[in-house]
Formats: sequence, structure tokens, C-alpha cells
Amino acid sequence: MTQHRFQVPVVLAVISIGMAFFPFLGLPAFYDSFLYIVFYWVSLATSWTLLSGFAGYFSLGHAAYLGAGMYTSATLAAKFGWPYLATIPVAALVAASLGCGVGALVFRLPRLRGELFALMTLAVTFILATVILNTPIDGGSGVFLSAVPPPQIVESQSGSIYMLGLFMCMGSLTIAWWVSKSKFGKGLFAIHDDEDVAEAKGVPTYRYKMLAIALSSGIAGAVGGVHAIYVGFLTVAETFGIAVPLSVILMSVLGGARHWLGPAFGATLITVALFGLASSGQTILGRAVVAAFLIIAVLWLPEGIVPAFLQKLKRRQTSPDTSTEGARSVHGDDLTHQMKDMVIPEKGMPKVTQEQKVILEIHDVHKLFGGVHALAGATLQVYEGEILGLIGPNGCGKTTLMNMISGHFALNSGSITLDGVLISGLPAHETVQRGLARTYQIPRPFAHMTALENVELCALFGGINAREANDKANYWLEFCGLQERAHVLPIDLNLRERKVLELARALVTQPRVLLLDEVMSGLNPTEVDTAIRLVRQIRAQGTTIVFVEHLMRAVVQLSDRIAVMNEGKVLMTGLPEQVMHDPQVKTIYFGQ
Amino acid sequence: MSQKLISSNRRVVMNTIAGGLLISTGMGSLHAAPSGKPIRIGGTLSLTGPLAQTALLHKIAGETFVDILNSGPGLLGRPVEWVLLDDQSKPEVTRSLYEKLITVDKVDLIVGPYATNSILAAMGVAQRYGKVIIQSSMGIPKLATYDMQFPASPFGPNPGVDYPGVILDCVASLPQPPKSMAVVTSKFPSAQFIAEGMREVGKQRGLSVPLYLEYEFGTRDFASIAARIKDANVDFLWVGALGLEGNQLLEALKKLNYSPKIHYYLYPAPGPLLASPEAKNALAQTFFEDHPPFSTRIGVEKLSPMYRARAVKAGVPYTNLDSQAAGTYNVFYLLTKAVEATKSLDDKVLAAWLKKNTVETLMGPISFNGPFNHGPARMLVKQVQNGKWVVVWPKDVAGGAILTQ
Amino acid sequence: MPSMTLLTQALISGLLAGGLYGLMGMGLSLSWGLLRLVNLSHFALAVLGAYITYQLGADFNLAPGISLVFIAPSFFLFGVGLHWVFKKFKVNEFGSLLVTFGVAVLLETLIQWFWTADFRRFESPWGTVSYQVGPIYIPLLETLACLTAMVLSGLTWLWLNQTYIGKALRASAQDPEIAAAFGVNHARQSYVLSGICSAYAGVAGVFIALITTLSPSQIWSWLGVIFAVVIIGRLGNPLGALIAGVAIGACEGLAMAVFNPAWAPMVSFSLLIIVLIWQPKWL
Repeated sequence: MTQHRFQVPVVLAVISIGMAFFPFLGLPAFYDSFLYIVFYWVSLATSWTLLSGFAGYFSLGHAAYLGAGMYTSATLAAKFGWPYLATIPVAALVAASLGCGVGALVFRLPRLRGELFALMTLAVTFILATVILNTPIDGGSGVFLSAVPPPQIVESQSGSIYMLGLFMCMGSLTIAWWVSKSKFGKGLFAIHDDEDVAEAKGVPTYRYKMLAIALSSGIAGAVGGVHAIYVGFLTVAETFGIAVPLSVILMSVLGGARHWLGPAFGATLITVALFGLASSGQTILGRAVVAAFLIIAVLWLPEGIVPAFLQKLKRRQTSPDTSTEGARSVHGDDLTHQMKDMVIPEKGMPKVTQEQKVILEIHDVHKLFGGVHALAGATLQVYEGEILGLIGPNGCGKTTLMNMISGHFALNSGSITLDGVLISGLPAHETVQRGLARTYQIPRPFAHMTALENVELCALFGGINAREANDKANYWLEFCGLQERAHVLPIDLNLRERKVLELARALVTQPRVLLLDEVMSGLNPTEVDTAIRLVRQIRAQGTTIVFVEHLMRAVVQLSDRIAVMNEGKVLMTGLPEQVMHDPQVKTIYFGQ
Repeated sequence: MSQKLISSNRRVVMNTIAGGLLISTGMGSLHAAPSGKPIRIGGTLSLTGPLAQTALLHKIAGETFVDILNSGPGLLGRPVEWVLLDDQSKPEVTRSLYEKLITVDKVDLIVGPYATNSILAAMGVAQRYGKVIIQSSMGIPKLATYDMQFPASPFGPNPGVDYPGVILDCVASLPQPPKSMAVVTSKFPSAQFIAEGMREVGKQRGLSVPLYLEYEFGTRDFASIAARIKDANVDFLWVGALGLEGNQLLEALKKLNYSPKIHYYLYPAPGPLLASPEAKNALAQTFFEDHPPFSTRIGVEKLSPMYRARAVKAGVPYTNLDSQAAGTYNVFYLLTKAVEATKSLDDKVLAAWLKKNTVETLMGPISFNGPFNHGPARMLVKQVQNGKWVVVWPKDVAGGAILTQ
Repeated sequence: MPSMTLLTQALISGLLAGGLYGLMGMGLSLSWGLLRLVNLSHFALAVLGAYITYQLGADFNLAPGISLVFIAPSFFLFGVGLHWVFKKFKVNEFGSLLVTFGVAVLLETLIQWFWTADFRRFESPWGTVSYQVGPIYIPLLETLACLTAMVLSGLTWLWLNQTYIGKALRASAQDPEIAAAFGVNHARQSYVLSGICSAYAGVAGVFIALITTLSPSQIWSWLGVIFAVVIIGRLGNPLGALIAGVAIGACEGLAMAVFNPAWAPMVSFSLLIIVLIWQPKWL
């Protein structure tokens, strides 16, 4: 992958320089304008996908940023006499501020995702349009730019606009490419697949989303700034209509919203098709043909044209992966075989004594959900290097406590410290930097990434630098016995493999403390034995483990100590033999 | 209703049709049919999109003109071809299509598109290539800053001040002149600035204006606006309406059991307002109606039935020659008159000629020596009378007296 | 300060107009919430239904109610067909947006081909009828639309919550795998629902023909406000769609009575944003 690193920007630069000569070729000026329109749509669609395709925050309001940019440039140039080129950066800034404003309002509220976010963006567009229509910015009479001297980059006006459009297009493509290859981009893709897990794995989701929306809206604003002088007469109805948001969505999704080149491809395709049909006079028929083509393309290539094309290329180059049924069962035996060969320490590992260091301290933690007192003063100390089992009847607060430790929820009172450092109150993405990792009962891998990419991402955001991330990912996949399935997507993994992937993702950051949430559920007895061996191995590497489990056999076999919770509090802790025979414990599980 | 719209293909009008027309129009003397390479006149219209309804009337008028021309001696003895493209009601498409027409298709002459936004876009292109552009539907003259732009409709240089005066003169001539006025307007640029003028001039003349409302272009629901109009209960309701907004407002008023005493609609779609029972005695803007004295003007006698025949064939509900259609006819008329007079296709020559001359057209004498190349204004007031549009003001061109309740 | 009569009139007119919003929104809300498919062609279908109503009235003098007898079943079949395509190609939510956009454009093209871009108005003797209650006038057609919306949404709600099919659909929407594990035959139910949603579009279309003026570009003018209706009313909730529609209609009506009407969209959509962010429990 690294050898390709500079290929793309070099190619883009070469194309840019090449296309910069176009206006001097002496072709009719119409072609300058036509290509400008292509550049315009490519930039818009690419900017849309930065937030919506990459991070999954589907926006219906791209016209708001475009319009903000257009009106900023128009107003500064026509009403305040600014030189035109100077207005464009301001247009970008205004649009970016608008985007960040929306983001600041919305991104911290987890319930405002998906379609609600889409609606918010649509509402913002309508509001902005109405404000501009009813205030002196436009006021209903439109903004007319004929008196404004157009920017003079080359001799002809259409040539100058062409150059500006070219700059925007190549600029946005470069930015999109850079983002998709960067750690920032990987974080966005993770947010797209599962934002909560991404946050728990160390992705600073709020910061990244804000950056994405700033880039997306800023580019759209700059494009608008240029476009104002092209259009020449701005009216609110034209600028803020539904055509722009719908078109960019179409173009991006058709070309492939998750790929940096996808929107460009879709935009070019649709623009050329529509224009070709329009200028031949067959507009009505033309639209129908494009629509039919769109339907067919989406049905056959749901991920978009560019990714499908790249998949085909890849399949021709590499040999087929070992993803047949036969290979799976063979692999299963392999794993058991490997495990048997390893020196597996017996359960009677270092007995927990008072001299052991407390690595995780949970002190008097309270948590209220509405009126429900999920945690009512939970206190627990976890010693370094131990395996602590956490049990209790349904609703006792075990999972809530896990979520508090990993930072999913804020606590109402109390404290949680890890190795002397206070972690309660930290945003979830920082707890992983402090040496804490967790798995989920129902595995939540990032659906669009392979097993290896999943683990790599967790390494990257767990504090490991990019160079080592790949090696570590491979190492831990092998440790968990999943290296054969490294290049498989989670949808093709069975439940056990997905659980193991969860483990690998948690282990790659080499956490001090590992939280396991019902890792045994759904496994058959053989698989449970294997899992137990694996957990012991992990502890042998020096990791402290706290695990929630319902399967008593596993609890008794694995735990050095057991903590029992009931009604939001930790009832007691002790050695397994003690706890399992304690009458109080029996009562809370079985009643009188 | 199985008639399909004549598809929006490029219209290529050649002598073959001309021959048939010669016979059908029963022309006495035989002209030599136009021959040689066609003179190509390029332009766009919003054949699809929200403005398509009115653009269709322009298309029919233009085609009729070209037919008539080619059935005669043609232009400078050559046939004329109208290269018409669809700008989809989008100014940016208009711009690129005009660039294509001028720089790629290399048409000899151009004519303007429909509606202010598109005209401005086309004008910019025309300016860059030094082409004469004649247009008929630019409602905001002061934006037309290109000196080789020529208006085919006599808006006059200052319709925002002059036309309200005309309208108010008209209603002041009634037996019971209004003392109060409500101004309700769409926020469409060319309607809004006239509405502002109405308020200004109305106040200057001592009318009270208790209600001034603006609504978004594209508003569907007029119930609340109707409620406010009913509540204000003024003598004169002036609506800066476009298309079907007048009808929608009248329906909403009817639902509230209210009929305005005197009412006016700025740029309505011609057919629907005639058909509406609530639009009794409604006034509106026009430059031309198909009755004397207009119908006796130059060319109308031939134009009117041909236009009607084409309109019927195209499935258009309103088939009379109306103001909008006459506008495009005038555009072609003026252009070809200039070409005939100067025997030239050079835009500079044509522009110079137009500036110096007054041309008799079906909208009356048109000259171009004022600001923004406008001559004196000749915006008229028409009224719905027994299912027909009749010009009622100024009196010297009226086809009938103003009717009141 | 506007008079009480004016305010009351505006409020009532707005509420009733909102009934049509709710009627339009119902089909979209159900398919989006329960089938996880964003059906943009819903708008085009409704407008097509309006044109068909207009045509049947013009050619055969059919009353809209009778036209509905033809429209509803054929649209139902269309919905089933559309869903078959989605199932066959395993289209996801994003993809459904695109595909239905394509279908919407195709339908718009069809409409423009047959009926041209010219305005059409379905003339009916009840077009401007209204009933007087004190100083207030209650328009007949809008009331009918509102009543129809109420009846349909009530019936649908009952169907979803009281019948097996309805509950099965809701279960499948929440968790398809578990529902399938319990033997819920999602396939058959979803076809029925898709058909119903399209049939609802047809019903909305009949009222659109009665109340508004038709032009092909009308399709897109509904998008913004109906999206708002659907999302505020919660996806998949027919009563919610109705209430949201009525609420938005009322807000718009009042706003236009008090402020300059051009500000109306700002009021509705600001309220929308406030509601979305504040998210009161009772919503």
C-alpha cells in the first residue's frame, strides 16, 4: 500500500497541469463552460461524500453550503466592491462556519443520527433560504453580478472560470484522496460502520465529524463562490432548490460514496449524459434514459460503480481467498491443535494476595437512567494480573458497570481510576489510550472492513503508530488463530470467528485491563474450552481481565476471584469456592 | 387526449412546408421561394421545468413566424432556420447552450430565451461575443446593461414607477374609484418590484394600503393569505401573481365566501383565469390582445389563425394569440426587419440600425433610443369579459369599456 | 394585531391542509419505518394518481371516488412489483433512495409526455364549497382529505398493532433475524405493506387533483415538507404522520396569518429543529 502513496497525487497533478492548457487550445469557448460544469458537479459531489459517504452522516442540505458560498461572494463583490477572487476564501469560510454550527448543534446528540440528521440539514437549507429571501441580502429582487468585473486568470472569461473550476475539482479530489488514506479517514469509515464502537476503540468521533463537516461545507462554499460569477444572476429559488442536494447524492452513490473517486465518476457520467441529451434536443427522453440507467446501475452495483470495478480488478489479480466451507472446518482443527501445543498455564496462577497492586478502582459509582437507579453505589477493586468474574442476576447492573468503566456513559457520582489515573469523566475514546479495552457480547465488527483492517484500525487508534499497526494486527490475529481469515469481511465470518475478532481488536492495543462481556454466549462446549484456554493465555501475557459471564462453568474455571452484584451494588467478592456456596448468593439467584 | 406534445426536437423549418402554406393561404401572387443556405437563428426556451407552460406559447409563436417568413420571400432571399434548444428553466444551462450555439454551432443570429433569469444569462454570453440579442420577457429593464440588447416588448425603462401609474389611472376612471388597496405579491423579482411601485404610487395618490404581503414563488396554500385579504376588505386587490397563482388565490377567497370588488393580477397564465368563474372582471397586464385595434396591425391577420391552428395541434388549452406569444413574434419581427433594412447579418450594423429607428409592430411603434434601449412604455391593462380578454386601458386602444360588478 | 377571526380561520384552514400532508406522508412513513426503504417515487406516484383522476374526470366524467376504485388496486400492484424488485436485488436503504428517485423521474417523464407541462385543473362543483360556522368557513375538500387521513391512519394503526400481520411487520422492522427465527414470514407481509403504501399514494393523489393545480414539477415541491412530516411523526407510525402533518399545517397557516407569508417556511422548519433537539418525551 505504501508504494502507492504518492502515485495518486502525482497523477492528479499531472492531469491538472495537462487540463490547464485546455483553454489555450483554441476550441470554442462552449467547451470551457461545459467542462466547468463537469468540474462543478465533481467538486460538489466529492465534498458531499466527505461527510455523508465516508462518515455515514447522510446530508440533504448541501444546497445550504453552496448557497451560502454563492451569496457571500455575490454580496461582497456586487454590494461591497471586493475583487472577485478575494471573495472565494471568504465564501468557503462562511459555509464552513455554517457547517460547523450545524455540527456543534447536532453531533453531540446520539439520537440525531441517520434520518434525523438528514432532516436537520434539510431544515437548515429552508431556513437559510427564507432568511436570505426576506432580508436585504437578496430581498426577493435577486443579486445581479453584471457590474462585477469577473476574475481574469486567462484571456477569456469562460477560460478563467474554467481554471477556477479545475482548481476546485482537483483540489477536492486531492483532499478526498488524502482523507481516505489517512488515519482521519479510517476513523470516518469506522464511524460510518458503528459510531459507538469506534468511539470506544479510540476514535475521537466528535472532533472527526466536525472536521469532516467543516471540509465538506467549506469546499461546497468555495465552489459556490466560483459558481456565482458563472450564473451571473442569483435568485433564492434557483440556488436553494431540491435539485442540488438530490443530484449530489445520486452522483456520489452511483459512483460509490465510500470511495474518493466514486462521486467524481458518478458526477461526470450523469453530467455528460444529461447534457448530451439536452443539447441534442431530447430533454424529456434524456431524463428518462438517465433515470433508467441509474436504476439499472444501482440494482446491479449497490456499492457504486467504482468499488465494483475495483473489486473486479482485484479478483482478477489475486488468487481466490480460502473462504470455502472446507477450509473453515480444517481451520477450526488447526486452532485447537495450536492451542494444545502452547504451554497453557494452569488455573492456579498467582494467588491474589493483599500485596498485589490495585489496578482498577471503582468507588461508590451511581448511575441513574431516568428514574431507574442502575448503579447504587458500586464499589470494587481489581488487582493487577487477576481474572475477576463478575456475576449477578439479570438487571443487577453488570453490563452498566462495564459501560461505565469503558466510558460509554457518564456516571452520576463516584469515581473510577485506572492505575491511579481518574478515567471516569473522560470521553470514551480516551479510555482506550489509558490502557483499557473491551469486547461486546454481540460482536460489533466494522462491517465494511476486513478482519485485518478491523484490528488495524483499533491498533491505530489505540496509540500504535501507522508503521507498526499492520504488523501488530497480524500478530494478534494469529494469536487468536484467525490469520487465515484476515482478508474476509465480517459478514462471511461465523459467530465464533466474530467473537475471536472482537478479542483480537481488544488485544491489539495491549491493554492493561480487558473487559469481556459474555464472551462465551452462543458457543458450544468445545468452543467454550478453547475460549477458556485463550483467556488464560491472555492473562499470561500480563493483562488483567474482568469478565461478565452467565455460564457458571466458565466462571468457576476461569476466575481467580468472583464479584457478585445485586441491585446496583457489589454484594461480595471472594474466591470461587466461597462465593458459589454463599447462602446470600444462592438467595439472590434462586430466591428462598 | 392521446395527442402527444410535439417533441422538443430541434425545429428545422424548411421550404417544403412553405410550399404547402403558399397554397393553403391562398396567396395571390407567386413569390420566388427562398433558396440557398439557411440563415440560422439560435435560441433556447424552457421547454421543460416549471416555466414550460408559458415557454410553449413562445415556441409556437416563433415557429409560426418562421413558417410565415419562409412561405414568403424568406430573409434576404434565404430560408430561415430556428435552432431551438431546451434550457430546462435553468439559467446556467441557458448560458452554456448559448455558448454552444454561438461558438460551436456558429449560428448567424440569436434571439433571447424566456423569463428574466434566463435572459440575463443569455445576455452575458451575447455580450462576450458581440451578438445582438432581442428579447421580449425581461421584466426588470434596469438589469439589461448590455448595449446591444433590445426589448421587443414596450416595458419602458422604468416600469416600476410608470406602470403602477397606468393601473391606478385605470381604476381611478371607474364610477367608484377605490380608496383602499391591498398589495399581495409573489417574491419573483419581476413581480416584486412592480408591487413595491404600486404601494409607493398608491400612497402618493392618497390611497390607503392597509395590507402589503409577499409570498414565496411556489406557494401552494393560499388559505391564510386569503383570510388576511378578506379581513382587510379593501376596495382594490392588486396581486403580483404569475402563472396560476391568481386562480389559486381566487379559489381560496371563494372558500371564505369573499369576492374582491376590483382585482388585478400581474402576469397570469392567460387561459385559466378566463375559465375561472371567480375571475369575473379581473384585470391583468398585457401588451397585446387579439381584437381591434391590435388585430388590424401589421401581420396579425395572417399570424392569428396560423398560431391558433398550431396551438390547437399542440394541445395547448388557450389557443388565442396572446401577449406572451406576441412578444416572441415581435422579437423575430424586429430582428428580420433590421436584417432586411440593412441587408446585413453583422450584429454591429443591426444594432446601429435598431438604435436609430422606430419600427411599427403589432405592439405598436417600438423604438430603442431611451435608457437600457427602451422606448416609451406601452404597458396596458386588460380585463376578463365574457370569457375573453379585452384591453380596457388606456382608452385609445381599448376594445371595450371597463366592466364593474 | 390580527383579529381573532383571522387567527382562528387561519388555524382551521392550516389544520385541514395539514390533513393532506398527513395523507401524503403516511405511505412514505410506513415503507421507510417498516420496510427500511426510502421511497422517493411515492411523490411521483401520488401526482400520477392525481393526473389519472383528472383524466378520468375529463374523459368519462368519473367522480374521483370512482376513479379511486381503479387507482387504488392498480397502485397496490405497482407497490408489490416495486417491492419484488427490491427483494430480488437485495436493495438496501441507500440504494432504495436511488432506485426510487429513478422511478420518480421516469414517472415524471411519463406525466409530461402525456399531459405536457401545462397546468391542469380538475374542475369539480365542490371545488370551492365551504361550510360556514359562525364567522369561520370550513372548506369541504380539505375537510374530506383530513377525515380520510384520520380514518386511514386509524385503521392502519389498528392493523399494525392489533393484527398478527401488523405486529409481524413491526417485529421484522426492529430485528429481522430474530423475527425470522420466530417464523415470521417477512416476505409476504412486506409485499402487502408495500402495496398498501402505494395505494395510499393513490388516495393522496385523488385529493391532490381535487385541491391543487397539477403540473409535473409539482412532484418535487412536496419533498421538503413531507420529509419533515414523516420524520417528526416518527417513521412507521401512521398516527404520528397525521399528527405531524396537521401540526405543520397549523404552524404554517398561523405563521402566514401573522407574519409576512414569505417567512412561513422559516417558522415551520425552526420549530422542527427545536423539536428535534429538545425531543420532549411526549413526542
